[in-house]
Amino acid sequence: MISIGLEGSANKLGIGIISHPAPGKPALILSNLRHTFNAPPGEGFLPKDTAKHHRSWVVKLVKQAMAEAKVSITDIDCICYTKGPGMGAPLQSVAVAARMLSLLWQKELVGVNHCVGHIEMGREITGAQNPVVLYVSGGNTQVIAYAEQRYRIFGEALDIAVGNCLDRFARTLEISNDPAPGYNIEQLAKKGKVLLDLPYAVKGMDCSFSGILASIEILAAELKKNPEWRDPITGEVITTADLCFSLQETVYAMLVEITERAMAHVGSHQVLIVGGVGCNERLQKMMGLMAKDRGGSVFATDERFCIDNGIMIAHAGLLAYKTGFRTALEESTCTQRFRTDEVFVKWRD
Amino acid sequence: MTTTPHLQTFTLEHLPPGYVMHVAVYENVRNAGFLQKQLLDGNEGFEYAFVDAGVVLSTTHLLAAIYRALRDFQSGRMKSRNVHSEVVFSLSSNNNISESFRRFGITPSTTNLIVVKISLPSKQVSRDEVLKHLTEVIEGESVDFCDEVLGGMVDEKRVRKVYKLGGGKSGIVQSKGEGEKRELEVLVLGGMALRGFGG
Amino acid sequence: MSVQAPPAAIPTPSHIEPPNPSHPASTSPLPLPPIFQHDPAPPQLITQGAEALLYRTTYLLPSIQCALKYRPSKPYRHPILGARLTKHRILSEARVLAKCRKEGVPVPAVYGLDEREGWLMIEWIAGEVLRIKLNEWLKQRKDEKVPEERENAPDGGRIHEGLHVLKGLMGRIGSAVGRMHGVGIVHGDLTTSNLMLRPRSNDTAEGGAGDGDGILDGEVILIDFGLASQSTADEDRAVDLYVLERAFGSTHPRAEGMFSELLAAYGKSFKGANIVLKKLEDVRMRGRKRSMLG
Repeated sequence: MISIGLEGSANKLGIGIISHPAPGKPALILSNLRHTFNAPPGEGFLPKDTAKHHRSWVVKLVKQAMAEAKVSITDIDCICYTKGPGMGAPLQSVAVAARMLSLLWQKELVGVNHCVGHIEMGREITGAQNPVVLYVSGGNTQVIAYAEQRYRIFGEALDIAVGNCLDRFARTLEISNDPAPGYNIEQLAKKGKVLLDLPYAVKGMDCSFSGILASIEILAAELKKNPEWRDPITGEVITTADLCFSLQETVYAMLVEITERAMAHVGSHQVLIVGGVGCNERLQKMMGLMAKDRGGSVFATDERFCIDNGIMIAHAGLLAYKTGFRTALEESTCTQRFRTDEVFVKWRD
Repeated sequence: MTTTPHLQTFTLEHLPPGYVMHVAVYENVRNAGFLQKQLLDGNEGFEYAFVDAGVVLSTTHLLAAIYRALRDFQSGRMKSRNVHSEVVFSLSSNNNISESFRRFGITPSTTNLIVVKISLPSKQVSRDEVLKHLTEVIEGESVDFCDEVLGGMVDEKRVRKVYKLGGGKSGIVQSKGEGEKRELEVLVLGGMALRGFGG
Repeated sequence: MSVQAPPAAIPTPSHIEPPNPSHPASTSPLPLPPIFQHDPAPPQLITQGAEALLYRTTYLLPSIQCALKYRPSKPYRHPILGARLTKHRILSEARVLAKCRKEGVPVPAVYGLDEREGWLMIEWIAGEVLRIKLNEWLKQRKDEKVPEERENAPDGGRIHEGLHVLKGLMGRIGSAVGRMHGVGIVHGDLTTSNLMLRPRSNDTAEGGAGDGDGILDGEVILIDFGLASQSTADEDRAVDLYVLERAFGSTHPRAEGMFSELLAAYGKSFKGANIVLKKLEDVRMRGRKRSMLG
């Protein structure tokens, strides 16, 4: 069976085509294309502009994905699209495109939860069977574990998502948004040495990032006023790189801690990192050190899969489709709020 | 009337070898003033922890103070002159050293006295030496170092006062008898453990 | 092109071991706290929690049992951050436990600590964590369907009785949490792994209503105050309840329906508890909204 997936919940438009050859065999990625809308430095992407970007690229990307996959319309079993969560306008623009394809090609629709898409693709790619999942992106920070037909949320950010915290700090520093603000913070952090004191906000398996963002922004403002600022302990001059370093060390330590707590709680030794922030190598390394201490291992994917993409929507959608799940045309809406644990996961034991 | 004087010798859990405690208890002590003076004068022959038994609830209570003192000794975190004065200070739940001596240490009016001598790896003292010296210098009757004896000597009201555990809401008011004693003891142990940390 | 694991991924074992947090697969040896370095026999490891290792050991004399909670430094954490967190957490936990105990909240007593070495020595609590007890109890009733569905069934007598026992337990938890909140402490990590059921020495005390198996009997003791803080803010209290509610929902979905019993008892446990329950509704709403973009 073959499905096409359309993803556009944030600033990436992704189209992917996947084939599930036979039960027990690995899925085949036939094509996986992405086009990103980048705002200028110091700015975030606005829903209106992002939606416009998606509308102007979707047809071109679908055509290219079909050509690359070397499939014809008759080969496609269903059309999967991101139902939510995400930003309203971009979600809607992609849902419209999915409906159009459904009518044009006479294929059924499958609305997919974006987070479940990340999780299922991560499991498929890495082979992690029943991991604790850390889902970290610009819009979501969740620690998830599977139990009784649902991906249950054990912990999450109580205010802003970790990716949002990083993105907004990148804006404060006017770091480029290309290829991604978090990526550029990571590169800068590699040159940092001084660890500055930031709040460490973990509550059980939950955490919060707005206080950290406020603190690091104050430090950034201080640094701007006083470029000769030195670390009182080491005497080293404090740089922007140190700010990025301190921010990363603090927020990733928090994420690893809440993940470890969930692992201890459910008795799992595996952890899977998904979502855009999951590309961060420092986070992956820290998670690996933690998992090793617990006698387990960490699973992560590269940027093809952890950054928003269409293939994960095609994959998760096809899993649901095979269990008989359909989204009728008149119900093919999208929603900004769609919790991971709302999805009935019929395809797992 | 005097039979063989009692002197209990202990080692405590989780300490390196070579740390040995000798503990003796005396009642009807008649020369407390003299003993205190030896401490105040810094008489090196009198390096003991002299503790007023009126503020010691139990053997555990005293051993906990010895343990804290020895850990602080080992990690270089002692606040007072030597490990023996540190034992007295370790009974306190606050950081005021001279106050701790007034509250827990020997005073001229002390009649029931606990004596602690610690044998350190670097400064070993044998049981016999301690016994001999104490028998010579302390005018009082040697009794057993045990909960029964200490229970008869302690003034619980005074303990509550020095550890500030008189509060009405306190759990110790709700429980009765042995439970109450135990509850008072664990609260005291907590106060001692948190001394110096703004507990 | 076939889907292949990218370099970052590590091959997975073909079969997953069942959950067993008390016996971690020990590929890397656990760090032993320095306090044990002179002991003739290694201490008994009870659990490997996320942040701390819990040992069963002795306090002062071989006859006095105690628990030692050790927070080893984390290899993933920057050492400065690690030392700061360890010191803060050891001291904060000790202070909170001492305060709770003083105010009559059922928690283990504090025996000793070393904030630099990262350990806290506390009273040994007999019994079992609620998570295990509850799962044991639920498992025994798995064939009897979800209790609510059968409450009025003609043959539902035993189930009804069982339900009564669960309700009683939920009430005792609610009261214990309320007592803690009433003295100005929030726990910060309320899960069913951080509540213990301590067997009673005699059966005359509260809550010992026997349905025969007695699995859910015992005194509720709150443990693991590693993330606790002193606070009287309704928001913090409500988040405590929300965390516990979600722990029930995710760990014991079949007992989640009984959470209202817990909240009812909580509501009666201290002055101002009802305001917290109102606040809990706000916190829940926020929780549901949280899946949107930040």
